[in-house]
Amino acid sequence: MKLVEAIADDVMVVEAYGRLDSTTSKAFGDRLISLLQGGNGSLVVDLKNIAYISSAGFRALLIANRAATGREGKLALCGVTGEVRRLFDIGGFTSEFLIFPTQADGIGKLRP
Amino acid sequence: MKTGSSVPPQAGLSTSCEIRIDNNLSEITRVADMVDDFAARHQFPDEVVFALNVSLDEIVNNIISYGYEDAGHHEIVVRVALARGNVEAIVEDDGKPFDPLAAPAPDLTSKERDPGGVGLHFVRNLMDEMTYTRSDGINRLRLVKRLAR
Repeated sequence: MKLVEAIADDVMVVEAYGRLDSTTSKAFGDRLISLLQGGNGSLVVDLKNIAYISSAGFRALLIANRAATGREGKLALCGVTGEVRRLFDIGGFTSEFLIFPTQADGIGKLRP
Repeated sequence: MKTGSSVPPQAGLSTSCEIRIDNNLSEITRVADMVDDFAARHQFPDEVVFALNVSLDEIVNNIISYGYEDAGHHEIVVRVALARGNVEAIVEDDGKPFDPLAAPAPDLTSKERDPGGVGLHFVRNLMDEMTYTRSDGINRLRLVKRLAR
């Protein structure tokens, strides 16, 4: 798991690479929470380059999503395609998140 | 100019692999590494590799997190094999008896649900077949994914 972080139009963007599973999701979730607490509360997470996501990864995303909402911020996801998208649907998670096709769409929507 | 005999393309391409891990979550990385390596050598479709990795993460995580009544050292065996056009994954552990097929389906409509409860639901949806047996104090879970759709 590798995270590439950037800021675009005052919106934080995190691109995740690799496996979002039992061994990596805790650190991933902690990093998202810390970014949400440190910035203005707007965060786009790009899942385009992850190899797979298990329930541990969904748990981290749900906790971060609740943390963002609690701080009146917003968490948006993008790059949710193929098998990853299928798992969002199987788990009933699709309606729990703000999901955009691309990073640019997410940034445009979350821009202050 | 090439002369002489050439090695058949399938030589040395093993049809199964196995790993023995400790009951420690960090060990799951070694399972995923083994699956990725085996899948690459046999050129499994992305969908199959994805299903295997997610399912083994859920199953092994469950065993390590909830399967033992003591805090001692335990071994978990994960075997992946090609058999009759299927990929078969077998997980064996000496934890308390637990049949993942008998676990209740999660309530996907509840807002307060535990997101961890969805793991076995993923496995049931991603794999084509699941069989559980318990004998001689060992849980044995067999997962099958068809290679041809």
